[in-house]
Amino acid sequence: MPARAIVALFGALLLLGQSRADDVSFNRDIRPILSEYCLACHGTGKQVAKLRLDQPEGARKGGKSGVSAIVAGKPAQSELIKRLHTDVETERMPPASTKKSLSQREKDLLNSWIAAGAPYEGHWSFEPLKTVAVPAGEGHPIDRFLQARLKERKLDFQPEASREILIRRVAFTLTGLPPTVAEVDQFLADRAAGAYERMVERYFASPRHGEEMARHWLDIARYADTHGLHLDNERQMWAYRDWVVGAFNRNLSFDKFTIDQLAGDLVPGSTLDQQVATGFSRCNVTTGEGGSISDEWVYRNAVERASTVYTAWLGLTGGCAQCHDHKFDPITSRDFYSMYAFFHSAADPPLDGNALLTAPTVKLETAELKARRAALATELAAQEAKRDAASHSAVYVDPATLPGAGKASVTEEIWFDDVFPTGRVFASPGHPTKYVDAKTGKVLSGSKALHRIDTGLAQDVIEGMPARTIPQGAKLFAHVYIDPVNKPKTLMLQYFKGNWLHRAVWGNYDAIQWGAPGTTEKVNAGPLPAVGQWVRIEIEASKLGLKPGDQVTGFAMTQFGGSVYWDKAGISGTSDPSGNPSLSLRAWWNGQKGKNQPGVKEPLAGWIKAGPEARKNPVEIAQVRDYFVGQVWEGASAELKAFRAKAGELSASLAKIDADAPGTFIYKDLDQPRQSFVMMRGQYDKPGDKVDPNSPAFLPPLGVKDRRANRLDLAQWLVSPQQSLVPRVVVNRFWQQIFGIGLVKSSGDFGTQGDLPSHPGLLDWLATDFRDRGWNVRDLLRSMVNSRAFRQSSQASTELWAQDAENRLLARGPRMRLDAEQVRDNAIFVGGLARLDLGGRGTMPYQPPNIWEPVGFTGSNTRMYQQSKGDALYRRSLYVFIKRTAPAPFMSNFDAPNRETACARRERSNTPLQALQLMNDVQHVEAARGLAAHVIAGAPDAASRVRLTWRTVLSRAPEPAEEKAVLVFLERMRARYAADAASAGKLVRTGESAVPAGIPEPELAAYTMVANLVLNLDETINRN
Amino acid sequence: MSSPILRPDDATRRGFFAGAGLRAGAIAMGMLGASRPVAAASTSTGLVNPPLPGFPHHKPTAKALIYLHMNGAPSQIDTWDYKPVLKEYFNKDLPESVRRGQRLSTMTSGQQRFPVAPSKFTFKRSGKCGTWANTDILPYTARIVDDITVIKTVNTNAINHDPACTFVMTGSEVPGKASIGSWLAYGLGSESNNLPAFVVFTPRFPDGSNGQALFTRMWSSGFLPSSYNGVALRGSGDPVLYLRNPEGVEPTDRRAMLDTLGGLNTIAANRYHDPEIQNRINQYEMAYRMQASVPELTDLSNEPQHILDMYGPAVKNPGSFAHSAIMARRLVERGVRVVQLLHRGWDQHGNLPRELGNQCKDTDQPTAALVTDLKQRGLLDETLVVWGGEFGRTVYSQGTLTADTYGRDHHPRNFCMWMAGGGIKAGHTYGQTDDFSYNIDKDPVHINDLNATILHCLGIDHERFAFKFQGLDQRLTGVESQKVITGLLA
Repeated sequence: MPARAIVALFGALLLLGQSRADDVSFNRDIRPILSEYCLACHGTGKQVAKLRLDQPEGARKGGKSGVSAIVAGKPAQSELIKRLHTDVETERMPPASTKKSLSQREKDLLNSWIAAGAPYEGHWSFEPLKTVAVPAGEGHPIDRFLQARLKERKLDFQPEASREILIRRVAFTLTGLPPTVAEVDQFLADRAAGAYERMVERYFASPRHGEEMARHWLDIARYADTHGLHLDNERQMWAYRDWVVGAFNRNLSFDKFTIDQLAGDLVPGSTLDQQVATGFSRCNVTTGEGGSISDEWVYRNAVERASTVYTAWLGLTGGCAQCHDHKFDPITSRDFYSMYAFFHSAADPPLDGNALLTAPTVKLETAELKARRAALATELAAQEAKRDAASHSAVYVDPATLPGAGKASVTEEIWFDDVFPTGRVFASPGHPTKYVDAKTGKVLSGSKALHRIDTGLAQDVIEGMPARTIPQGAKLFAHVYIDPVNKPKTLMLQYFKGNWLHRAVWGNYDAIQWGAPGTTEKVNAGPLPAVGQWVRIEIEASKLGLKPGDQVTGFAMTQFGGSVYWDKAGISGTSDPSGNPSLSLRAWWNGQKGKNQPGVKEPLAGWIKAGPEARKNPVEIAQVRDYFVGQVWEGASAELKAFRAKAGELSASLAKIDADAPGTFIYKDLDQPRQSFVMMRGQYDKPGDKVDPNSPAFLPPLGVKDRRANRLDLAQWLVSPQQSLVPRVVVNRFWQQIFGIGLVKSSGDFGTQGDLPSHPGLLDWLATDFRDRGWNVRDLLRSMVNSRAFRQSSQASTELWAQDAENRLLARGPRMRLDAEQVRDNAIFVGGLARLDLGGRGTMPYQPPNIWEPVGFTGSNTRMYQQSKGDALYRRSLYVFIKRTAPAPFMSNFDAPNRETACARRERSNTPLQALQLMNDVQHVEAARGLAAHVIAGAPDAASRVRLTWRTVLSRAPEPAEEKAVLVFLERMRARYAADAASAGKLVRTGESAVPAGIPEPELAAYTMVANLVLNLDETINRN
Repeated sequence: MSSPILRPDDATRRGFFAGAGLRAGAIAMGMLGASRPVAAASTSTGLVNPPLPGFPHHKPTAKALIYLHMNGAPSQIDTWDYKPVLKEYFNKDLPESVRRGQRLSTMTSGQQRFPVAPSKFTFKRSGKCGTWANTDILPYTARIVDDITVIKTVNTNAINHDPACTFVMTGSEVPGKASIGSWLAYGLGSESNNLPAFVVFTPRFPDGSNGQALFTRMWSSGFLPSSYNGVALRGSGDPVLYLRNPEGVEPTDRRAMLDTLGGLNTIAANRYHDPEIQNRINQYEMAYRMQASVPELTDLSNEPQHILDMYGPAVKNPGSFAHSAIMARRLVERGVRVVQLLHRGWDQHGNLPRELGNQCKDTDQPTAALVTDLKQRGLLDETLVVWGGEFGRTVYSQGTLTADTYGRDHHPRNFCMWMAGGGIKAGHTYGQTDDFSYNIDKDPVHINDLNATILHCLGIDHERFAFKFQGLDQRLTGVESQKVITGLLA
């Protein structure tokens, strides 16, 4: 054993107690040895030589040799012991090929255990919760359990920490932010009994509390703002994140919290809120990569979702059983795929389509949306009135009623010129539409044209426009003006007839990868047209698979890269005006016969639908005629067309409000469930035995009979009174959040390979109390935060730190480095920059250049980082936009996970990259300047300003030695910047917020350096 | 007594040391983290980031790894797997006896025909060893074939970019595992006390090329401590994130600030006795040293002109492949363990001849220069260089096939990589594919085998290199049986 290991082992034994030969526990001492060395070949999965050692019967019977592996009470006669020691290499266990061998101590433990009768135990975390007697003593059971252990070690709690330390510890723990100076003063002034508890309640009541709680849960839920694979495009589901914040702020009980997220859609009377909560199971990474195989992704998405439930609620690593029976835990492949079966019938498509909103989704409703909708509706009504008046007074003669009707002539019908027809008009997400007029760009016709400058694929689209009939000899066209200095790779026109598979491509044929090459889905229409002039690009409709009489209800103008103006698009063809529904009332009305008239009021809609022959009443005919002239007739006057266009624009805007209203991913099942199977060796195309949705066999039964179990059954089962594992896992994670490390250190692994609880009695007591008293999260946290253990000082002797580095015994208060989000939030908060609005789309604060760009896929809409401006720069880190393939460095530097998979426990590293960030990141330097300005304004002289800095950041006054050291540094910086005002000017201009007026810049710079120093203190980035 | 104890194996695991070992009073720190304990080993070597106890397992043939990842999958048929017989099959269907109904990407699985597209490039026997090389677009690399071993039979499990890249770098298609560079930094530490152990470049690529995405998970530490993440040395802005002092702050100001900070932190250390405070003081000192050492590293003014010329004209443009290549040499010279260059744009579904040519124009000369430069300094003997993508490309054309142009879809069944230096044979080719470069005839090299071989060259037995995570002994080389390819070793 290396020297280091000996030292460390010595420390560990000293701390947690050496097992004595007469005190061997199966779970504590023996199971880990069997797990590590034996069960891979002699466990639930494989039984080499027909021997299994994970159960007493198997060990007693022995393998195919028939010799008992274990003879209770008689180590010397036990084959297992003999095999450890034999000199015959072929018989020695574990075999040399495993490259593992037991230590002497491990051999001794096995010996002692067999000598003591070789008693087996079930795995501790799967056993029912034990009713544990609370140890005698004073105070809350938490403290009594902890103290009992401390007494065994001849240790005790430290004295209570100072009030200044306590309030900062509580504020960070419950809200993720430091206390303000006013909050500190309020607490210090409250000398009555219960002051601490009252202070705690103030932080529970803060909306910031839900934000801090959500942060931890979102690591489990693997929430992020992009899909995560391949293009890694933006996905919109921040409403789920905000739901989690809200759930903690209203102290939703953990059982309901569980049910809403796993099955909110199945709860009777399911609300919008509950559907939003189901986003939990949509947070997994997904792909839209071309060439992906759908079956594989149906499988992988279900595996991921099932694994997350395992991690989040069962604290087990179910993912291994995806390929084989779990070697160490009793999880079989059947168990895993029974869980998988709950998620295997997901209604979302296996490939995400790289869409912002991949169905199923719901739209969110806000007050602002309602107001905008009402305003547009009023304006629309006014325009429609003008249009209808103009149409009523217009002169119209139906060409079908004229002599010579029936002769064909060439006509041209314009679909876009200044405006699109009525319909849903939109652009590629992240590539907004831009109009220009003759002053700002090139216009061919009318007063406006579209202008698009882009680097990748982008388009302007209309869907759901009134149907346009393809005439004989039809040609589809648009006019383009290509900027000679910035040519696109490709131009494309695309049309909708039941689907979008009608495309004509000019220029580079491969740049846009849509459509099967060489078919009507992707027609090569020729090279890019001439640049620097207006050119008509045109394609025969027949080449795109559009026949005369077909009806087109949408089209798109698309380019790949470059700078292009688009104007006047439409269709030309030969037609007979008397048969043209755009010109002839009769032709049009005939065409509408039998069709529903969406958007048209009754009774007019019914008259239109009935067709011209059914109408005899001249009043009714006149109304239909007015409708046609006002809204359809191509020959209308320019004035009427302008009213019509304006009304069309307004109703399109109205439709766009709804289309653009934020939505969020929700979870639903297919109407017809998929058949699920154990997948052999984890391969998506190798089904084995059929499985139904069910709970794992080693846990209490699900209790659903005679019907297919669903996710609601699963969720209710997880939080049912029979559960022992779930409450253990859940209270342990909250404990970890409050005390920095779980009672079970491996908070994501409660299986046989995980750690054992440091205080099994306490864990069971907490779990029982939590479960039986209604899963009340706040009560649980309150009991922890109000405990003596939490309130004690974290100052302790060097010996104690050495003995119990991880503070498992709680012989001192918890002291830990702040999490990534807290580090940043603290700086912007004490720097007076923080904006504390709740919720909404992820924000993009300062980030060094070239974090996204060098890794982003060319066509991704998150390739370019678009830094926010103004207040959005200073939102809390919970709301920072998370791009999974390139997480913000200021987060990952401080161990924030990239949210690709559920993360139950973060690390706390300590690196030079963190030091560089805290010293130099613009966010921290700008915050330092903010803090400097605050203390200069808030106190009259150097010493009092230093004290105010200390109180603002650390909630306490500096000690004399600290104050003196900082004053020396301050004087040095003052002299330095007084002599170099130019440098001072540069330093104070770091960041985008305004430099405060009225403070000499050298003075501000010197205090900025002091604030930068204080924001880098170890004490600042710790909760102490 | 009812107290649980830490399992004995915990004591030998880094996870335990990360807390207890270090907190127990060790003073020095990992280059990039607190996680590395420092006891006897490091005080004798003077390294702040020493190898794990017992590492290396055997005498290594390479101290450092330079991994040139051509992201997007270069066509093996147009680079190193010369197939003269294909000329006869131009635009004829790929025989069913070759394809054998194997899985295709859905980008071409709907194609009516699978017409064979022979490479339109010229291949010549090159060097003394006579390795066939594409002298049209790889003229420089063709001149160093006597220093490299071309492997023609690398194969992988994945057929799409994202999982394939994740697989080639972490040994698993599923995100969350540790990358090869992180594994090596974890096991072997760093020989440098003021540079990161694992450095990554993502150089620019030609404008017209189809740039697939890269993922930070390709150089992430996964389940290993985050201090083993690859550190991106960047082409623009600060070479290391947040390296530069704010405007208006000079190194002397920073020194004064750090002196005061150290004093104040020492007061806190004496108050709390938390050993992590002393650790932090040391990390700040390391940061300060990096502020000096990284600019020195990136300053090319002392490189002789003939060396710069060898890398080509782009060498002076930070962010170019050529600049990254010379930086790779400078880094291994300074004791950095792993340098990775991830160059994008090699995904030629269409217009392959032109676009592949552009890709090579960007990389061929600097790549050959890097090997030559290492060799003339005697560094190639202790540096392993690896070149390759994440899978290969199909012999049949995707989309239009003409005499001048064609495209190729993804092909995971066989592709080419090459290795040089650090214990690998020189002037050698390994493995054989069929006449269509569609199936392996002889000596397959699975990605896990390749990674096992890389570890072997660096002195590590891949079977004994494990980290416990999610209840499993995680290995870079996976749970299936895999082997070191001895036929590659010198």
